Amino acid sequence: MKVLNIVVSGFCLVLLGCAENDGKSQANSAKPAAASAFILAFEPADAVAVGVARENAENDQSIAVVGRIGGSEKPFVDGIAAFTIVDLKVQYCADEEGCPTPWDYCCHQDEVKTNIATVKIIDESGKLVSGDARELLGVKELSEVVVQGTAKRDAQGNLSLAASKVFVRAGK
Amino acid sequence: MLLPWEYGIRNLTRRPFRSGLTLAALSIVVLLIIVVVGFIRGLEVSLADSGDPDVVLIYSVTSGENIESSAIAARTPGLLTSSVAGTVNRFGVTFASPEIYLGTRIGNENGAVGLGLIRAVTETSPLVRRYVRLIEGKWPVRGEVIVGKLAAAKLGSDPGQLEIGKKLTFEGQDWTISGRFVAEGTAFESEIWCILADFQAATMRQDISLVALLLPPQGSSSELTLFCKERTDLELQAVRETDYYAALQQYYRPVRLLAWMVVLLVSGAGLFAGMNMMYGSVAGRIREIATLQTVGYRRRAILMSLVQEGVVLAAASSLLSGCIALTLLNGHAVRFTMGAFALRIDSFALTIGCGAGLFLGALGALPPAIKALRESVAASLKAI
Repeated sequence: MKVLNIVVSGFCLVLLGCAENDGKSQANSAKPAAASAFILAFEPADAVAVGVARENAENDQSIAVVGRIGGSEKPFVDGIAAFTIVDLKVQYCADEEGCPTPWDYCCHQDEVKTNIATVKIIDESGKLVSGDARELLGVKELSEVVVQGTAKRDAQGNLSLAASKVFVRAGK
Repeated sequence: MLLPWEYGIRNLTRRPFRSGLTLAALSIVVLLIIVVVGFIRGLEVSLADSGDPDVVLIYSVTSGENIESSAIAARTPGLLTSSVAGTVNRFGVTFASPEIYLGTRIGNENGAVGLGLIRAVTETSPLVRRYVRLIEGKWPVRGEVIVGKLAAAKLGSDPGQLEIGKKLTFEGQDWTISGRFVAEGTAFESEIWCILADFQAATMRQDISLVALLLPPQGSSSELTLFCKERTDLELQAVRETDYYAALQQYYRPVRLLAWMVVLLVSGAGLFAGMNMMYGSVAGRIREIATLQTVGYRRRAILMSLVQEGVVLAAASSLLSGCIALTLLNGHAVRFTMGAFALRIDSFALTIGCGAGLFLGALGALPPAIKALRESVAASLKAI
């Protein structure tokens, strides 16, 4: 009986230890996204596609834009929380094609030109946030995001978004 | 008790012709290894040194990793320097170098034609390309060029044809050589430089290939990258020069792997040559080896003496090959697609070559020595 008690107690301790570890790892993996002040908890309902925003958005207009992170081999800017997003309607290479960098849209570059926008994360004072957007927002290439911010247009039709908040869709 | 050191040395001189042939064979093997490793080192160092960590290259995003095929608007340097802060500026001069980089057919006064590399530059280029140093002559003016130290190797031409005052012909125009430059062993040394406006007129081009910008030490290229991403209409990319050449190193990885394979194959050939020599040497000395055992020398001592012979011969070969490589081959220009580079017989190449030589000497002597020592002493004493 004594032996049985020891075995059961040991088993319970092992289970408890495993449970604590699981909790810790979940907390760690969610930490970058949850801790970020730039993450939106809920998806904005009035988000427009990148292509639509490039056509219709006016300079300094507050806007929410939905897109997928990509457009080039390196869509993130090192040292600055900035990246490019591409309209969801533009297709990227399927997994089975074996493309090592499907986020560069190598097969549909012509479509990318008119369906791409640059996202710059800004702080409350309007300054560019330094650091890596991947760590700041918990995103990666091909993540679907909804960016809330101010549109910046130039005479050549380029669209930049000075974003104060970003919603990251679940999935990719 | 070991056999005296002189015993092994004397044995080498007892058969001078055989020892001489083995010395020659091993020397060729070691020399080949040193040359191949020198080739790899030259290629690696040339590409690694070519990148200046403070220089950022702005070129067309559609050209991938090939600057030669890049074409960007001539107004790009002005746009960049006026839109993005961070480029070094002294006394009102911004350290930005607009350039055309082109591979083209170049003829010399003898009529020989080779494929060379032209970099059309402006007077700000030496401010950005800090490795480049004019060693002879003067900076070019209209209709003139300066040539790098390895330009002749790249062209496959006689160096005498690239002396100051000689003429070169490319893009339908004659160009007079006004100076020669070095660039600390970087890829620039295989290039020919001319004035940008002059070259644009000759080629009827209005665009440029790239803009090289000098950042302050530890300066960030993030803003330049962001500018390129925001101005999608310009189709630009910003790449640190060190990253550009690192990517080229990856491109040449198969060549380097192939060269290492050659090192292995040559080493294998050397191993067999050494073994062949030692088999011959041991076969003729079976009675001598048995006698040594009879007078009381242990097999291990005899084995050590035979290995000593192989190692001494290999050491002599390594020294000979090292001297030949250092005096005759070091710095010899080698042409390749990206330009030319110098064979680099450095400490690494010498260590690999001499190390391989010594290893071959020791390993090559072992199998025949072991075979001879396995025979019984009585049978060996009767051997003819």
